[in-house]
Amino acid sequence: MSGRLWCKAIFAGYKRGLCKQRGHTALLKIEGVYARAETEFYLGKRYAYVYKEKNNTVTLRCKPNKARVIWGKVTKAHGNSGMVHAKFRSNLPAKVIGHRIRVVLYPSRI
Amino acid sequence: MDSRKALYKRKHSAAKTKVEKKKKKEKALATVTKPVGGYKNNGIRVVMIRKMPRYTEDVPQKLLSHGTKPFSQHVRKQCTSITPGTVLIILTGRHRGKRVVFLKQLGSGLLLVTGPLALNRVPLRRTHQKFAIATSTKVDISKVKMPKRLTDAYFKQQQLSKPRHQEGEIFHTEEEKYEITEQHKANQKTVGW
Repeated sequence: MSGRLWCKAIFAGYKRGLCKQRGHTALLKIEGVYARAETEFYLGKRYAYVYKEKNNTVTLRCKPNKARVIWGKVTKAHGNSGMVHAKFRSNLPAKVIGHRIRVVLYPSRI
Repeated sequence: MDSRKALYKRKHSAAKTKVEKKKKKEKALATVTKPVGGYKNNGIRVVMIRKMPRYTEDVPQKLLSHGTKPFSQHVRKQCTSITPGTVLIILTGRHRGKRVVFLKQLGSGLLLVTGPLALNRVPLRRTHQKFAIATSTKVDISKVKMPKRLTDAYFKQQQLSKPRHQEGEIFHTEEEKYEITEQHKANQKTVGW
């Protein structure tokens, strides 16, 4: 179907203090969301880090393809400028910092 | 023989055999003596071949914990923005991104939607509230007839038998493909959408 059914987001880094970082929680910056009040829509939404590998993987409904996913979900807002905490089922790899994460629109609360 | 007469005959005979069976059971409570180690155990133990049921009238079944209900008794809530006739956007599944019309909420909490089929090839289908966005557009469906047999059991996924690849198998089971049954088509026509 036409249209992108997910929002763009960037993996900005891990939850961290100045010296230590906690790899289990990621900080995401969602495109277009620049205030804490605006993040309310995205709380609870699922996130996907989609990447491609050399070997094919089995998919549920399509033919095996090279795309792989790490799923996660938004847990809470972070700061006043629209950043958001997210927890993934397995931690995001550090090389993804600065790269694209997809925010899907489900589970929807509208 | 007339079937009713046979039925009565069977009922009577069944009662007799039950009593007889009980008597027989009490006689034939077989036990086995087995040698057991440990000097305090008297060397042998008498073990029943057929063990008593775990739960009887004297020993009640484990009490269910308070407040936990089976799925069929769960409370089903509905989003206030979703009323019959609302246009929803489906977010997941093969029809993702399509706008469909919401008809009613089924007993399990899932939503019954239809394309309409002629518009976007979405048939009568169930979706989940959490995986659909309700728009503010509402369509008047007061004139839509909905057959009563559209329940969760009707929409339940059929278990298709998969082929078994074994050499020398006598019965070659063909892989069953999902086919749209005539009943599905008829229901779609009745709804008219």
